Amino acid sequence: MKRFTSRAILAAAMATVVSTGASIVLSQAPQEQQAPRAIPRMPDGKPDFSGFWTNPAQPGARGAATVFTKSKMAPFVPGGEALFYEPRTGDPAHDEPRAFCKPSGFPSGFFGPYPVQIIQSKDYLVMVTEFQRITRLIPLDGRPHQTGIEPTYYGDSVGHWEGETLIIDSTSFKRWSLDDYYYTDPTQYRMHSDAFHTIERLRFSDGNTISYQMTIDDPKIFARPWSEDFEMKFRPEWAKVGLYEFVCEENNRCPGGNCK
Amino acid sequence: MTKTLALLIAVLLAGSAALAGHHSFAAEYDSTRPVDVTGTLTRVEWTNPHIWFYLDVRDDKGTVTNWGFSAAPPGVLMRRGIQKEVLKVGSVIHVQGFRAKDGSNNASGGTVTFADGRRVFTASSEDAVPQERK
Repeated sequence: MKRFTSRAILAAAMATVVSTGASIVLSQAPQEQQAPRAIPRMPDGKPDFSGFWTNPAQPGARGAATVFTKSKMAPFVPGGEALFYEPRTGDPAHDEPRAFCKPSGFPSGFFGPYPVQIIQSKDYLVMVTEFQRITRLIPLDGRPHQTGIEPTYYGDSVGHWEGETLIIDSTSFKRWSLDDYYYTDPTQYRMHSDAFHTIERLRFSDGNTISYQMTIDDPKIFARPWSEDFEMKFRPEWAKVGLYEFVCEENNRCPGGNCK
Repeated sequence: MTKTLALLIAVLLAGSAALAGHHSFAAEYDSTRPVDVTGTLTRVEWTNPHIWFYLDVRDDKGTVTNWGFSAAPPGVLMRRGIQKEVLKVGSVIHVQGFRAKDGSNNASGGTVTFADGRRVFTASSEDAVPQERK
């Protein structure tokens, strides 16, 4: 029997999907065209990112989770490549932790193609994703990172403004998957180390678009920091329903391929 | 009816193409074991992390087996304006998908064909693979 890849399945399904009478563009999801708007601002004049946004993604990309671009990455330090690529073991609990409702971690959880709601005040930026209802509480009052804390899946984030750009600096991560690369390579993950450090730079490129740059600084893996540029698109119509609840444990019927 | 089905088509397509699952397709379903069944819709679970719907399928000997199919999450469907009522319990539908790796009567939803011949793509998010740029 011919072996299908999941990408081939998707392509075939898209090609053959339908139908009688329905004049619908079948190759992609409907895309809302937003009316131009001025860059919204807080009372103190800072840009106001509040609202519903798409996940950070490469400009023009859509349809699946964002994964980092290999050519953007810095060279490995000695031993870094072995730390970066972690082979699968055949144990579902190891190979598919998210299938058991374990956390996606940062940035992986924010790169899934689900809405991100941002709520901003003078002192905090709150970023919430629908997927796994991940919540980041980012103080903007200039405080330093916490010290002496245990590493976590989502790290410790602090923010500050440099002109029109919001800088978010995050540290104190536990070693975990970097992105959803394992969807494309069934043999291994891409991981970050416990020295993982990110710098996000958010600014409006227009009223409906956040230019979102992420710098990866992981000295146990890469010889130098490296960056990739993404975009988040404004989707005000998502406010009608808001973020839908996502309780993974509600009906996770086939964890690790065991449906029984 | 036509309008509802057209909306369903658009929504299920949009949902399936525009999200990633909370696990990879390969972890739970066997792409070498396609499932192709017709039956009566018995139950819809409008739940996270993926909706499930179930069919009673009668074979040539008259034995009825209940099959479960996984599809997109409810949030994606709701955001596109679809409610669970579009999958009507008691209706006869034809479903094509891929069987669960454990060999149970569970599968990923692939396409659903309604009694009037219309077909919709219902494959769950695991079929949308992130595209790595080199």
